[in-house]
Amino acid sequence: MTALERAIADPPPVPGFGTRSPVDGLERRSVGFVDVLAQSVSAVAPSAAATTIPMLVAVVAGGATLWALGVAMLLSLLVAVTVNQFTRRIAATGSLYTYVSRGLGTGAGFVAGSAMLIGYGFIAMFALAGAGYYLAILLGRVWPGIPQTPLFAVALIAAMALVVLVVIIRGIRLSTRLTLLIETVSVGIILVLVVTLLVNTGPAIDWSAFSLAGSTPANFAVGAVLALTAFVGFESSSTLGVEARRPFASVPRAIVWTVIVSGSLYLVATYSQIVGFNALGLDLTSSASPVNDLAGAYGVEWMGLLLDVSIATSFLACAIASTTALARVLFAMGREGVVPPAFGATHRRFSTPHVAAAVSVPVVALVPMIGIALGWGLWETMETLIVVAAAGYITAYVLVCVAAPVFLRRIGELTAGVAVRAFAAAALLAAGVVVYLVVESASARWIGVVVFLVLLAAGCAYYFARRRRHPWLIETIGVYDVPVAADVLGGAPHPDDLPGGDGRSGS
Amino acid sequence: MRVTDEARHLPSPAPPADLRARQPKAVHSALAVLEEVARCGAGVTAQEVSENLRMPRATTYRLINLLVQDEYLVRMPDLRGFTLGRKVVELAHLVAPVRPPQAAVAVVEELRSGIRGGVHLVRYEHDRMRVVDPDPDFPLADEARLFAELDASAMGRLLVAELLETGSPLPASVRPELRGSPERQESLRREVTAAGRSWQVDAFTPGFGCLALPIRGPRGELVAGLTLSAPRIRIEQPGAVLELLADGARRLAPLLR
Repeated sequence: MTALERAIADPPPVPGFGTRSPVDGLERRSVGFVDVLAQSVSAVAPSAAATTIPMLVAVVAGGATLWALGVAMLLSLLVAVTVNQFTRRIAATGSLYTYVSRGLGTGAGFVAGSAMLIGYGFIAMFALAGAGYYLAILLGRVWPGIPQTPLFAVALIAAMALVVLVVIIRGIRLSTRLTLLIETVSVGIILVLVVTLLVNTGPAIDWSAFSLAGSTPANFAVGAVLALTAFVGFESSSTLGVEARRPFASVPRAIVWTVIVSGSLYLVATYSQIVGFNALGLDLTSSASPVNDLAGAYGVEWMGLLLDVSIATSFLACAIASTTALARVLFAMGREGVVPPAFGATHRRFSTPHVAAAVSVPVVALVPMIGIALGWGLWETMETLIVVAAAGYITAYVLVCVAAPVFLRRIGELTAGVAVRAFAAAALLAAGVVVYLVVESASARWIGVVVFLVLLAAGCAYYFARRRRHPWLIETIGVYDVPVAADVLGGAPHPDDLPGGDGRSGS
Repeated sequence: MRVTDEARHLPSPAPPADLRARQPKAVHSALAVLEEVARCGAGVTAQEVSENLRMPRATTYRLINLLVQDEYLVRMPDLRGFTLGRKVVELAHLVAPVRPPQAAVAVVEELRSGIRGGVHLVRYEHDRMRVVDPDPDFPLADEARLFAELDASAMGRLLVAELLETGSPLPASVRPELRGSPERQESLRREVTAAGRSWQVDAFTPGFGCLALPIRGPRGELVAGLTLSAPRIRIEQPGAVLELLADGARRLAPLLR
């Protein structure tokens, strides 16, 4: 250990490190693994998905619902391990936007960035609308006299948007702890229902739940992509790369465990719903609200109320987590100068990107509110919003899977296994998203496909216009948290590096 | 030790075989990686480490990423190269502690003979401190906590106030109550700057406390600290002892760089 001993006893100076990171202002290295995990889990909202997704998948995939979910889980795991090639090496707030910028350059990066903004933004809209939908049902149960008018739903959504705004400005720990509590309780309630169903239907395994009958390759593919929408958001803990205490350890672990835990929950919940309906001699796809119907049929009606509470709060947690991620992607863009620098400001006391949050929340709340005010049904609005969000996420996943091997090759750390997994995921997802967009554009939700394509094109047009005016953007895009002199043995601050640096990237 | 480009491309001397025999292989490999990064200097890439150590690439990359997770290694801002993290200093117990110069030890000894209570000498470097000359007659109360909770002790508070004064980031060993409160940070900074010393009472041993005086280098930077541990009343009203200590600190300054 001679060279190491010498280095410790008399550290050779290592120049080139600043005293501040370009993403200074956030509460750097402050939240632990539990908070990081909470961010990803809440963005996925497993309890809300476990109660709604099985039916949606069953409608298209027929008997192959469980298989479609299994394939979606494997695909998500492939994406997760590929994303983790970045999360183990770069601590950033821009998530896939930053990673793709670092791997494929700023142009592709901005496509991924637009796709992520669309994904986080529309899932937040979807979740706010969902929280409003279930809260209205819930209040209707408690006080039967309440008028179920569109205005009432709009008011509920506005009230919850206010909650979201306050929580995400008040500090990252409040939002992660609150959403974790909500999700834990909701998942607990779902598991109680699952156990009730399995106890009532007996210990024998119902093999018919695993049959592939009535499924074709095409509708199986669409079913798998639909099932994938139950997983999207698992990567969102990567937006806490700067705030996590040990980001290179906790973020990768949170991403993989989110996929494993929520995937297992979906498989168990779906199996129990299928056998629950089979035992009743009914069809899962014929039910408007499967879990409530099951709770009623198996003599636990009182659970209906609990389930509505759990779904409403799970949606609220999802809205908080998705807006948290959205604000941090915008924050990164603000620091880079892609969007006005005000988006890169942080709150002096709470160390949160409060400007980005204050702009995002009203936009996220107004879209479903306007939709309802225009006379669209709340549920129809939600179905359209999720199409936009899913297309955004999956587009970004495809890009990040292509970017990972390119990035690793450039820094000289590419291995064959990683490349094979990344390209397999990219190819499968690319095929999936094309099939999904084609199928959805022929459905009643075609407007969602149009909105996605228009927004993505608008994002790219904005980027090219902005880059023509500010050619230096090519240097600043892809901002991440670089180690500061204090992290490095013998780290000597650069003489020109005065406090309050200009927020440029570290490369 | 100078960083040479040739060093990066030379295979390192064969890893010591006796280590391999006695220790689990992963620990051996991790230490070999740290040693290699120290040998090649800042900026060495993962590929170079793998080639020099003749270790399989996938294994090397996994090990390096684990060491980065634990902050023993730091990825350079260009994302390709690596350098040793500040945390390897925690391996410093493997390295003999650096004794202060004899002249400084003599000054501290003289102070001890004239003052009732424990007189310790502390050195500071960036955001770290080391007790280089603890009073043998008055051992430190809880050495582990001294370093784990930097803002609990007088010697630690002196360093924290200095970091706040220069606007440097606070290390992870500052407790969250202080880390999360700009108001408390400001009041600590003001208190220490105004008094020219830091102190604590009851934090380690009820009824006892500690005060610390700064020793500054030629550019006014904090290089060392002289501390007194004594019963609470003598910390709160030090009287003539303070003069003795301040005089000692003035005499130590030129001896400690």
